[in-house]
Amino acid sequence: MKQADTKLSKVVTGFAAICLTGAFMVLPANAAPGIPQGFDSDGEKIFKRYDNTPLAAMTGTDGKRTLNKYYELRQYPGSPPRVPHDVPTSFSGDTLKCLSCHERGGYDPNQDAYAPVTPHPEYVSCFQCHVPQRTQKLFVETEWQSIKPPKLGLSEMGGSPPPIPHSLQIREDCIACHTGPAAVAEIRVEHASRGNCRQCHVPMIATEIRKEFTRSK
Amino acid sequence: MKINRRSFIKSAAASSALAAAGSIFPGISFAEWKKQESASGKINWQKAPCRFCGTGCGVLVGMSGDRAVAVKGDPNCSVNKGLCCVKGFHSVQALYGKDRLKKAQVRKNGKMVEVPISEALDVIAAKIQETIKKHGKDSVSMYGSGQWTIPDGYVASKLFKGCLGTNNVEANARLCMASAVTGFMTSFGIDEPMGCYEDIEAADVMITWGNNMAEMHPVLFSRMLASRKRKQNVTIVDFATRTTRTSQAADKSILFKPNTDLAVANAICYEIIRNDWVNWDFVKKHTTFHKGKTNIGYGTEDHFSFKDKPEDITFEEYKTFLEDYTPEKVQRISGVSAKDIKYMASLYGDPEKKVTSFWCMGMNQHVRGTWIQNLVYNIHLLTGKISTPGNSPFSLTGQPSACGTVREVGTLTNRLPHGVVMNEKDRKMAAEIWDVPLSNIDPKPTYHTVEMFRALDRGDIRFMWIQVTNPMVTMPKLKRYREGCLKDDRFIVVSDVYPTPTTDVADVILPASMWVEQEGLFGNSERRTQHFDAIVPGPGDTMSDTWQIIEVARRLGFEKQFPWGEDEYIGKIWEEYRRFHDSPKHNMAPYTVLKERSGVQWPFVNGKETRWRFNTKHDPACKKGTEFDFYGKKDGKAWIWARPYEPAAESPDQEYDFWLCTGRVIEHWHTGSMTRRVPILHNAMPESYVELNPEDAADLGVTNGENVKIISRRGDIVMKASINGRGVPPRGSVFVPFFDENYLINEVTLDAFCPISKQPDYKKCAVRLEKA
Repeated sequence: MKQADTKLSKVVTGFAAICLTGAFMVLPANAAPGIPQGFDSDGEKIFKRYDNTPLAAMTGTDGKRTLNKYYELRQYPGSPPRVPHDVPTSFSGDTLKCLSCHERGGYDPNQDAYAPVTPHPEYVSCFQCHVPQRTQKLFVETEWQSIKPPKLGLSEMGGSPPPIPHSLQIREDCIACHTGPAAVAEIRVEHASRGNCRQCHVPMIATEIRKEFTRSK
Repeated sequence: MKINRRSFIKSAAASSALAAAGSIFPGISFAEWKKQESASGKINWQKAPCRFCGTGCGVLVGMSGDRAVAVKGDPNCSVNKGLCCVKGFHSVQALYGKDRLKKAQVRKNGKMVEVPISEALDVIAAKIQETIKKHGKDSVSMYGSGQWTIPDGYVASKLFKGCLGTNNVEANARLCMASAVTGFMTSFGIDEPMGCYEDIEAADVMITWGNNMAEMHPVLFSRMLASRKRKQNVTIVDFATRTTRTSQAADKSILFKPNTDLAVANAICYEIIRNDWVNWDFVKKHTTFHKGKTNIGYGTEDHFSFKDKPEDITFEEYKTFLEDYTPEKVQRISGVSAKDIKYMASLYGDPEKKVTSFWCMGMNQHVRGTWIQNLVYNIHLLTGKISTPGNSPFSLTGQPSACGTVREVGTLTNRLPHGVVMNEKDRKMAAEIWDVPLSNIDPKPTYHTVEMFRALDRGDIRFMWIQVTNPMVTMPKLKRYREGCLKDDRFIVVSDVYPTPTTDVADVILPASMWVEQEGLFGNSERRTQHFDAIVPGPGDTMSDTWQIIEVARRLGFEKQFPWGEDEYIGKIWEEYRRFHDSPKHNMAPYTVLKERSGVQWPFVNGKETRWRFNTKHDPACKKGTEFDFYGKKDGKAWIWARPYEPAAESPDQEYDFWLCTGRVIEHWHTGSMTRRVPILHNAMPESYVELNPEDAADLGVTNGENVKIISRRGDIVMKASINGRGVPPRGSVFVPFFDENYLINEVTLDAFCPISKQPDYKKCAVRLEKA
């Protein structure tokens, strides 16, 4: 971790390109043998990410990414975002090229921005879901309509922790998107050091039909 | 629900004004979307199989009011376990292209005129009757699709084969899966893969044969990558004619010259025998050796016919046959080094390694498509690496229901839902279930797809009804077949969802329901049947393809055979169809079970799915007391075939000095009639191109993006060069994606086909290039 920390200071002060190398290990097999992987919406992932992310990398923001920019890259809430920057048209043999920046984040002087961190670095075939934009023209105009994105700040009471407004599928790693310099300004949290996010924040998916409690006899 | 009709510009302006506010008031966000105005904002998720490829991912379609607004991978579907590809994630947007066909059209005085759909159906029925009266029953035809739902294909077959008495029923799967079928039939006597996708996680070695899975079956490919990452000792080998994303992700990429996979497969078998890696116990108990005719032609002439003549041979004769295929000899034919051939053989031969082979169009669209399937099966049979978890020769499909509708329902000229028209027992079964006289079903097959379009051109066929497919982009040697459609006294009906080059040649256009606008069933590559409900209301007069056929059948007087009501017909058709497969070898799950689950595999016996066929431990149809039972063949033994290397129908020569290969890209599916209407997919891949090797491009004096003219003996086309782009072909060959209707590359391709399967070879013909 020491080496990573040294690098990190450079990253945060904006001197270093690209990312922290080496520190983030491949997620090992589940600690509890016999229990299927990924139970509790892959709750293990958040702890692993927490363990492997230096505290400094969970704080600070460059304020460049806003929620509006975030949604502009998506077709509907939860759709895979398109790639907003140039990527080589060739797929040059390094399947982890995207992940060299997006697995752990960090400052990229070419973009003058911090790279957003993917919540699912275990999927390495990135272009399977994320494609760049080569034209803005459409083939035929579309009558597609999206629902509105979920509202923020859905706390039940003043000051109570807001629930998680989105599905956890492929987005179960809170720290990846909600902390650090590349986090979207509106959804960045200041208390990432707590680690156990779902201790206070529970899923209440804004778009899912709300089920009220009723007693069954 | 009111449709938001504000213009895009207006809405964009409004949302950018609000965007500024967004940064002040967190909690509201304002991307440039056209948003639903009056919906509740709640999403109701419903399961369906993905609309696109043959992988058969389970998706959850998110509904807000009566509009589809989102997609999630279905975590309950074992195929994709919650993940999709970029097409699947945006698939619902394909429903909402502005130029959706919503009204029927009929050609009147040379012009297409919108009419009520009932009038169009009247016209179709009258035209069928008139054409049969004038030209005989074999002058009318149906050309369907591997995107037909199972009920679509079933009623088409019932109407044409059972009621009208013509075997003129074909489907575009002939262009995509026919060699896979004949491969299975000749090696095992029964169609469809023995394994399932769980082979991916069980395998130690995966070899892709001419199969760019990273783009064509991305969800399965990501399962392969995930397995390799988790297990650390998994090897992926890409054996191909071009360097692709799959080659780049593989541990080893091996390139071969077009058509020489035949020689390499034989060389692998040669090595397996030379090193005594043969699983003798398996081979002695479960296989027999055979040879067939050689020098079998290419079918480029009208009325071409071929019938194979299988002969038994001994193992010794087979071994002698292989002497022509030493790695050193094959190195000269194939361009694959003897070392690499031996490497592949050693992977297959290692008794400690489980090996799965994957292939799709590279082996299917092949003038010796049946042979190459036989030869890859040989490798798995000689080593006994078959029908057990991780040991699988796996033929993938390209369409969502190529297996379900075309192969299982048998919507091909020679087939019936069970068996073939040539077999009296099979005809009797069909006549009984269909409630038609036995004499109705003609024992003679008529035309396979290429020959069917030739017959249309010649005038032997006068009426063709095309559903859910776009042959005016996909037929090889396209000009001839388009001109055939446009001849006087030809009548073309097209059922589709968007205008395409095929609706351009239509005399009647029927607006079809698309995907989840209707109830239906698909069948994927791993024998999985997948039910979906009508989730989204279809626009305008759109009607399911099944119901279009039922309406026409009733107009032709077949009410008795098509009695179902509109609210129940899918379930009733399924239960009737299921009777054809009522045996442990092919039993299908009942309707109620299919409605409930995210896909069910057949054979479905006593409430249990069969994961590995022919393996007594997993497959209840196997004879007891033996480990394996290849029950498709009478003696329970699989066939190992001596099949030689023969060259392609047209190879580069001095005049036409390049190979042309065609195929797909990840963003677009087939002819792009759906995916090009999905904004993110079109924006990512707006037009087709020709991939050149950088050195060939330099010789030609062409740089990236400059125009190149591709010329063959059939036609020519000018398109932009792509150098070091998505894929890199080796020197002397070019690759063109076929999705773009503005660049009809099939005007350049050749209509040569495998004489056994009659499937055309889209991967090989000779062209020359000019800077344009």
